[in-house]
Amino acid sequence: MIEVKNLVKRYGDHTAVDHLTFTAPKGQILGFLGPNGAGKSTTMNIITGYMSATEGTVTVDGVDIYEEPEKVKKMIGYLPEFPPLYPDMTVLEYLNFAADIKKVSKKEKKQMIGEIMEATGITPMADRLIKHLSKGYKQRVGLAQAIMGYPEVILLDEPTVGLDPKQIIEIRELIKKLSKNHTIILSSHIMQEVSAVCDSVLIIDKGRMILQDKPENLSTRLGSTGGLKLTVKGGRDKVLAELGKISRIISMEEQEPSGEGMVDLTVYCKENDDIREEVFYAMSEAKLPILEMHMIRMSLEDIFLKVTNKAEENMKYSEENDSENDSEERQSDSDSEEHQSKNTSMEDREPGQDDETDADSINIEIKNDNKEGDQNASDL
Amino acid sequence: MLAIYKKELRSYFTSMIGYVFIAFFLVIIGIYFMIYNLMFGLANFEYCLSTVTFIFVLLVPLLTMRLMSEEKKQKTDQLLLTSPLSARSIILGKFFAVFTIFAIVMAIICMYPLIMSLYGSIPYASAYGSILGFTLLGGAYLAMGLFISSLTESQMVAAVISFAVFLFTALMEGFANIFPTDNKTAYMVFSVIVLLICLLLYHLMHNYTVSLTIGVVGIGGLTAIYLLKPTMFDGSVIKVFEWLSVISRFDTFSAGIFDLSGVIYYLSIIFLFTFLSMQVIKKRRWS
Repeated sequence: MIEVKNLVKRYGDHTAVDHLTFTAPKGQILGFLGPNGAGKSTTMNIITGYMSATEGTVTVDGVDIYEEPEKVKKMIGYLPEFPPLYPDMTVLEYLNFAADIKKVSKKEKKQMIGEIMEATGITPMADRLIKHLSKGYKQRVGLAQAIMGYPEVILLDEPTVGLDPKQIIEIRELIKKLSKNHTIILSSHIMQEVSAVCDSVLIIDKGRMILQDKPENLSTRLGSTGGLKLTVKGGRDKVLAELGKISRIISMEEQEPSGEGMVDLTVYCKENDDIREEVFYAMSEAKLPILEMHMIRMSLEDIFLKVTNKAEENMKYSEENDSENDSEERQSDSDSEEHQSKNTSMEDREPGQDDETDADSINIEIKNDNKEGDQNASDL
Repeated sequence: MLAIYKKELRSYFTSMIGYVFIAFFLVIIGIYFMIYNLMFGLANFEYCLSTVTFIFVLLVPLLTMRLMSEEKKQKTDQLLLTSPLSARSIILGKFFAVFTIFAIVMAIICMYPLIMSLYGSIPYASAYGSILGFTLLGGAYLAMGLFISSLTESQMVAAVISFAVFLFTALMEGFANIFPTDNKTAYMVFSVIVLLICLLLYHLMHNYTVSLTIGVVGIGGLTAIYLLKPTMFDGSVIKVFEWLSVISRFDTFSAGIFDLSGVIYYLSIIFLFTFLSMQVIKKRRWS
């Protein structure tokens, strides 16, 4: 278990980490989420004893990193942002060296190196020089080094950078497997990664902690925006007229149609008001098939941007609708398992439909600028 | 420590630098050995060694430049410093590795007096005494090179600074004779030394208070001595320069005298600079 209390790191006038306090319970994966330069790497460097903190304490299993650094360092495995590799060593030589400096006993060493190489998938590369490896393999060798000695705590600074999608999935699986016996802290600026792997997410920006929660809670905590995204087959005027009869809809907004004879629009209602059924019956009575309908929930991206961009937020979110537009736009890019979208498809989707989300986004962007007028037009 | 030692030693032989150093060193000593001992028929091997001390200035930077700077540049220091290794074992592992390369040269050189013995009687004691002194002299330079390498991220910078410093220590004795011996010059020379120490401390600690305090106290003390009892400066510049002149300590060895104070002098330099290198690593804790 890691306990960080009131951690401060200053470089002259610049405060890289500003009174950061959090705990990482045993057997959990804690995700650090933050934009570049948020202080993620600095925090990790302090926890691992690579750097000193200006103020504050870090304890691992109750042992302070400043009082007994060697004891704490033995419990920690670290994969820094740039994997610390010696280009002139072979993979096997390097892992042997890593095992030696981590004081792995001679008896266990050979077997452990074999296991770890197997787990990280670098066994075929054992006798290659590290300088000849690709970025993905280098990253894995770095990861192998971090696991070496099976430390209780593993810190991974952006572990999947530079890997291809297949490797990313493999590494995530590996991290999940490791988390059964280890405490893991993982940093990333990629939301999907954090939400896919972590038990708990800690969002930091400009060295300050903004919030800590489970990834699934984050979305409900800040999430529901009260809106539906609809694709309906039928005439535009008819659809608008039918929807206009539903009193719970506050406003509507049209997007560029995603196909011939279709209407794409976003309807807004009060927060936490589920109008899906009402919309469904209204449309079915009017014989207007709904091809697609899902609720707008905030994805991690939205939450992330919302909490990290306070200043922008004030401007953007002053009007409720504005925020909803933004969240929707980003949502269409993010993967769908996260925001539990509910697709009510009455017909099979057209194959090209997904590709058009990008075009949609652009349109929304443009619409946002003169949204005021649009809104009035469709306001009922 | 052993892990670092093995890794460093191996890297010297995978990157050729180890071979180049050993070969070059042996060639130069071999040439002088040929000229002095074999062609001129001198029985004293120490003469040969005393003429080749200059090669430390050229060759040691080659060997030490990458020791610490390369770790920083490749960010592998993150691996070393977050592993349960102490600063002491990192530095000592590296020092002994680089010293081993040099010791290989010295082990080969130990055979030279034996070769000479084929042609007549040899003063073994002074020959091997000087080899020991030479080894320690080399160790002192290696420790200095290691320290300089730990101050920078760039191999080239480390090499250039090492070269300049070593050249300075080699020429120090000559410089001492140029300087006027009056007290005012002595006062100025010492003030410059105090300032240099302050700058170095500031570079290491990034702490204005400590370096300024030492600077003010040092200069203040010097001024007080200069004003109150200037005779204390008599001949002191030459003494200090001699004290800093690492190579001139070897003169007594090459004269066939086993100088215990010289041995202690070299050992203290090795100790001082390995200690300082450890502090450079530890400075992260107090910066």
